[in-house]
Amino acid sequence: MSGTHEGAFEALRAQLQETAATFADGPGALEGILLGIVDDVDRAVREPLEIFPVCHHSPASAIAMARRLREKQPKVVYLELCEDMAPLLTELRNCRLPVAVQSFATEVGGFPAEWSPLSVVAPITEASAEYQAIAYALDTPGVELVLVDRSSDHVFQWDARADHPAEPGADPGAPEAPPAEEEAVLHGDAIGVEIGDLRPRFAELEEHLLRHGRVRHWSEWWHQYVELPLGDSDHDTYRQVMLLIGSLFRRLAPGDADRVRVDEDRERFMWTRMREHLAATGTDPADCLYVCGAFHAASRVAEFGIDGTDTFEISPRSATKWLHGLIPSSHAAIEAQFGFAAGSVSIAATVWAKNVKRTRVQPYRLTGQAGAPSKAKKIAAGAPVPAVPASDKLTGFLRQPPVLDRLDEAELLGWSVEIVRAARRNGYLASTADAIAVFETSILLAGMRDRARPTPYDFQDAAVTCIEKDSVPGRRDVRRLVEIMMGGDRVGQVGYDALPPLARDVHDRLAPLNLKLQQRGVQRALLDITSQPALEQCSDVLWMLRYLMPHGAARPIMGERKLGERPIQESWDVALGTHQRALIELGYEGVSIEQVLEQRLRRTAYSPQATAATVLEAVEDATLYLRSRRIADELGTRALEVLSAERSVDGAPEVLRRVRRLLAYYRTSEPVLPPWIESFVKTGYAHYCTLLPTAFTDDDATVRQVAAMLGFLFSMESLALSLGCDRTQLELAVAQSHPQDPSRTALLWAAQVQLGHLSRTELRARCDELLSNPMVVPAYPRYLSGFVHALEPVPGLTDFVVEAVSNAFGRLPDPVLLPWLPTLITTLRSGGAELAPLLIREAGRIFPGRLAALDAWVPPWRAPQGTEAVRVARRTDADHGCTLLAAHPATCDAMASLLGCEEPWQTTVPQPRGAALAALHPATAAALEAVLSGPGHL
Amino acid sequence: MSDLLRAPAEIKYAEELDWLESIDDNPKPFSWRLSPKMVRLFILGSERSDGLDREISQKWFGDRSFVERSIVTLASDRGLLLIGDPGTGKSWLAELLSTAICRNSTLVVQGTAGTTEDHIKYSWNVSMVIAKGQSRQSMIPSPIMTAMETGAIGRFEELTRSTSDVQDALISILSEKYISVPELDSDNIVFAKPGFSIIATANSRDRGVNDLSSALKRRFNFVRIPVMTNRKSEAEIVRFRTEELLHRHQLELDVPPTLLDVLLQSFADLRAAAAAAGSDDEKLESALSTAEQIGVLEDAILHSNFFGERALTARTLASSLVGSLARREPEDLAILNKYLHGVVEPRSKEEGGSWPEFLEGGRDAIATLS
Repeated sequence: MSGTHEGAFEALRAQLQETAATFADGPGALEGILLGIVDDVDRAVREPLEIFPVCHHSPASAIAMARRLREKQPKVVYLELCEDMAPLLTELRNCRLPVAVQSFATEVGGFPAEWSPLSVVAPITEASAEYQAIAYALDTPGVELVLVDRSSDHVFQWDARADHPAEPGADPGAPEAPPAEEEAVLHGDAIGVEIGDLRPRFAELEEHLLRHGRVRHWSEWWHQYVELPLGDSDHDTYRQVMLLIGSLFRRLAPGDADRVRVDEDRERFMWTRMREHLAATGTDPADCLYVCGAFHAASRVAEFGIDGTDTFEISPRSATKWLHGLIPSSHAAIEAQFGFAAGSVSIAATVWAKNVKRTRVQPYRLTGQAGAPSKAKKIAAGAPVPAVPASDKLTGFLRQPPVLDRLDEAELLGWSVEIVRAARRNGYLASTADAIAVFETSILLAGMRDRARPTPYDFQDAAVTCIEKDSVPGRRDVRRLVEIMMGGDRVGQVGYDALPPLARDVHDRLAPLNLKLQQRGVQRALLDITSQPALEQCSDVLWMLRYLMPHGAARPIMGERKLGERPIQESWDVALGTHQRALIELGYEGVSIEQVLEQRLRRTAYSPQATAATVLEAVEDATLYLRSRRIADELGTRALEVLSAERSVDGAPEVLRRVRRLLAYYRTSEPVLPPWIESFVKTGYAHYCTLLPTAFTDDDATVRQVAAMLGFLFSMESLALSLGCDRTQLELAVAQSHPQDPSRTALLWAAQVQLGHLSRTELRARCDELLSNPMVVPAYPRYLSGFVHALEPVPGLTDFVVEAVSNAFGRLPDPVLLPWLPTLITTLRSGGAELAPLLIREAGRIFPGRLAALDAWVPPWRAPQGTEAVRVARRTDADHGCTLLAAHPATCDAMASLLGCEEPWQTTVPQPRGAALAALHPATAAALEAVLSGPGHL
Repeated sequence: MSDLLRAPAEIKYAEELDWLESIDDNPKPFSWRLSPKMVRLFILGSERSDGLDREISQKWFGDRSFVERSIVTLASDRGLLLIGDPGTGKSWLAELLSTAICRNSTLVVQGTAGTTEDHIKYSWNVSMVIAKGQSRQSMIPSPIMTAMETGAIGRFEELTRSTSDVQDALISILSEKYISVPELDSDNIVFAKPGFSIIATANSRDRGVNDLSSALKRRFNFVRIPVMTNRKSEAEIVRFRTEELLHRHQLELDVPPTLLDVLLQSFADLRAAAAAAGSDDEKLESALSTAEQIGVLEDAILHSNFFGERALTARTLASSLVGSLARREPEDLAILNKYLHGVVEPRSKEEGGSWPEFLEGGRDAIATLS
């Protein structure tokens, strides 16, 4: 036990009292603070359960921790980390650090729905005290690791946003300018929790410390004034100094009530949990070690200590369903999340590696830890060193002069040469002379800032001064190059065994591709499914991943997935390693990607905003990706419900497109149509019939939407009628429609033509009338746009539309025609992308193909007799089929009697065939042949 | 001192420099008059924790590391090139550095399109050459050569305004540290004494006019001075420069802090508008730098002192602002008019204070100009 003698700090107390009296005008606030700090240290040191104060990403803390664990060999380690994260820690051995332990919840109960999904991450790096504690506890038999901090659920329960809903985000350490690099956003928008958050909460204090420390960042200050002096200090000094800093920051913090409340509640929580554990297991507090941030070690709550009061009641967790996993993290992500200086975590990692070598402390490391050096061998734990009462180490520490780290010339030379090489590789015109200049400038800068040894930050400044010129030649500037050189960003990786079942399943199923999917970066997969049918399974997985994961995780380069088509060859860019977090978070939603996809499709279909079109899309996706009739049917039924409830026709074009596609698919691939689609057509027919008259007059409905409704009605008509719909309903609906708008009127005319209520001659006459009436001519283009849209429901009118457009060009006056042309083009491009080819094909058929023929060409509609002749000829030609009927009248008679038709047989006089005419006048044919094959033929 | 319109820093702060020199016991590089730490203290001002008997005022406002990097560069083998937008205080920093290091900030070559190599090296007193022939006596050394001979800091303002061949004359000066005078038969090399270095300034908006050669770039360390965006620091600069100005003109005029706020706020608004503008026609021609703010204030102070009621008013400030910033007609006037109506008018209704008077003054000035 490392308690202190009674009154160990008396000398220090007296001294500080004197100081306060000298510098302040009298005993008051200053004295209170100074003596309070000593009280805090004294109290924490005297606590029978040993408190080990740490600071996050501090190599000094990590070294001290490793040393202390080897000395003390505690049987129970209490750690300040969310208690619900405990089961995952053993999985750390399967990962390459840094990784983050994540708690994740989408099913939110008891919190505002807009907070969903809830996510808490606790990043763990190798150069941290908490990793030492975890590795020791998990790998030493008989040692128990107990996480005592509030659960992820309490993180949100105590979130100040609940009281002040207007406040955005809950990331207290958000940096001013977070780097937007890919590695920096590895944590997504999770809330970060960290062991040992130790930073002045009083902006002026931090500013003051930075200014007088002649440093730029808090990380640099810490490195310079805490890390270095504490580097080789003994356990008691380390502990007392850390407690002192924790207490100082605590006492100088402004009263941010919410933050103080959360901090104190956490301390109450932790001590309550520890006392519960001690009581339950009967462990001797002397065999335990409590690892917490120095800030919490200097706590003044009543519950503090094993003899503290038991007045804190831990609130029950909410109904939220929490899931846990490990996600990859990176130094840059940690820096961005907690507002450290860029590169500081990397520098901490480098310092840790150096300290381990220098101090010869054997750090703990989880067996099987990925990325561990192979030589790491377990050394036998020696016998615990008996504790001796600690004496006052603070006085000596506070009195000692600033630690002047000696200049490590070899190291600085190495850095200087290295940065010049890196700069050259990145396009800078750097030379050996620059290396010399950087070396010299670093020493000079460090001298100006009162230190003998340049810190990495001094070196960075020197490198920027000497190498950076007026522009950056490559992608990275010198500042970034130094950061990379000092350790660079390290991105962690969650090992296969630590992945959730879904992610493991994905990896297993993609194994036939023979790709290293764990690696970061894009990899190309080639799937020749015809020669290797087994790869079709991989293709299925990749398509689902494309649907579920963020853009770039799986991207098809060649190949597409359409209803009713089988894949032949596909090529993919896969980047699962880069998007590991997304894959792991997918794992929280289900055990297989099919399950997740199914859930997502269901969620889309059953969301309150769902429209018939979106539900049909979900049906299509279910068929495409899941190939599941069951889900497709279920969602189809849902589409039916949504359609019947819809009162607008906004989604009509999309509904028409999707239903047509699904119908075509089911007709070709299934023996019978699924019942839902039959009902859908039936309901749709009735639904759109009902809505048609309103849509024709409704200003909110566009022509395209009305055209799509008509399209649905006409193209599904045969199916609908076969299912028992009544055509009268449609006829009535059309008869009730009285549009005012010219384009809708044109649409109505087209519908009437389709229904046989209006002949083409009448339609033509109406158009002519419009053109000849100078009062309505300006509206003619709008009629035309209606006709163009009418091609969707009535494709048979194509030739008429060509005629109408031609007439417009021929007869419309320029002041009407020219302003309308851009509208026509934009209408065709935006609204009628699929209709334009139809029009063009028909126009190509009607108009002469050669320039020479244009002079003699007469439009078919200008030669009514000719057209009639052609029609008659066609009709008579068609009549020839009737000869068969006339030869065998019995069938016809039977049918006629069945239908109750009493009319007698009519016979037609056979007329000469067209070929006979050619045979009579062969000269024409010969001349035509000469024209077509002659040399002058253009 | 009172007979100088603008005393150079070494005269203005002579007493402070003497005092600093007397207490400076840190090691000094070469022939520097102050140690690097004292140079920093002189430029950035002292604090209580420095434990000095008297207070040293802050003379240059900006990131401390820029000053440290500049000092260290001058203590090394290389020249210092301060680069930044107009009005960021490059020349002022250069002047302070040379003052603190060698007590002479006047060895200045001004780079222009007409600068020749003679301005950098030496030229000849023609009548003396005719009378006595070419000798060291008939030679006219350039400020840079003088700096070399005395081991002082030579300054080269607007380096990138002079042509590339002239710039390249600096290459040998910076690497060999001597200038040879081939016209002389003996004593024909001028060697630089320890302590010699060059501080050059370059305007980053002039990039591409006369780009520095790679050889010259190598011999300079670049320190980029960014535009001041921190409102607190900017207010300090404006206040500091205004005091200096009042002192120079021997004026007894009070600048109310509220008016300083109005000025800073209006510049901040106009900068935001310029940043959001789509084309050059939609933004003022002025760069809206801190130096221009000081210009506006100076104009207003002088105007109120000589033509007004010897007190600075918001009305005068507004008319100076319009007068200084409206350079193009009608574009700039339209922008200022829009600013007055769209931003100042609602603000004067909401906040009151000096804003209504400022609005009125601005309107009058625009009416007069258009």
